[in-house]
Amino acid sequence: MSVSQPEEQWSRFEEKLSDAMRRVDPPEGFAERVMARAQADDRPRARIVPFLRRARVWVSGAIAAALLAGVFVAEQMRLRQERERTELARQQFEAAMRITGETLQQARQQLQQAGVRVGTDGN
Amino acid sequence: MAIADDELRGMIAVHQRMVFSIALRVTGDYATAEEVAQDVFLELYRSGERLVSEDHVRFWLRRVATHRAIDALRRKAIRPEDAAEEWIEEEHSDGEARGCDAGLQVRMEELLRTLPEPMRVAIVLRYQEEMMPDEIARLLGKSVASVKSHLHQGLTLLRRKAAVTMKEYVREPA
Repeated sequence: MSVSQPEEQWSRFEEKLSDAMRRVDPPEGFAERVMARAQADDRPRARIVPFLRRARVWVSGAIAAALLAGVFVAEQMRLRQERERTELARQQFEAAMRITGETLQQARQQLQQAGVRVGTDGN
Repeated sequence: MAIADDELRGMIAVHQRMVFSIALRVTGDYATAEEVAQDVFLELYRSGERLVSEDHVRFWLRRVATHRAIDALRRKAIRPEDAAEEWIEEEHSDGEARGCDAGLQVRMEELLRTLPEPMRVAIVLRYQEEMMPDEIARLLGKSVASVKSHLHQGLTLLRRKAAVTMKEYVREPA
């Protein structure tokens, strides 16, 4: 390289850079090592993929079963609450009727004691 | 679906120099570059990418190689200049075989390793892969302006450093 021609060196800078940066070969046996890793990968993958497929089916089934169970339990709880409300209303109605009947009976007895005829016999 | 073994073997044969060279120049470390290059081809093999054309394959490999090399550089905090010697010697002998100015080539390689990562990546893709700034921008997912800026800064820095390095070089006895 000549010292006396720096201008020419500068003009060739990018050219030299491209030249310096040409592609290089990978180390000996590179392709074989990649293929060996790829083939080593295949075996576990062959086992993993069916496992994942089976797992996916099981998971889907489990989710569907859980959803159905959830709906069933919710429906049962709703029916139970409805039955409880009905039973409570029936008990309240019976209590009210009993109290009313007792009150009427007391009033009738008091009237009879006072000599007032009560038209229970249709007169 | 993964690509077939024969297909992978063919792609390695065609593209191994490109992928390895990108990895080597970005990481600056020979062993890391091989690891990155192997991982790139394995990623292609596992991904089941539908690469419809040769251009698509080349773009995919360049993109993944560049990103994996940057990842490796950051993860291992490699200082490329530390690992330069082992492959500079190989480059030197290769250069002589091709009748190039091997000394200058070695200087260029050394200078490249001193550049900050974004500039180095842009320079590698521009001068090794001979990609245009818009192609580099697309590959890196950056703006064209940003790539041009990195190229300009990188080249300026290289030229400044080369001015010193070349003076040293020419002072040496012939």
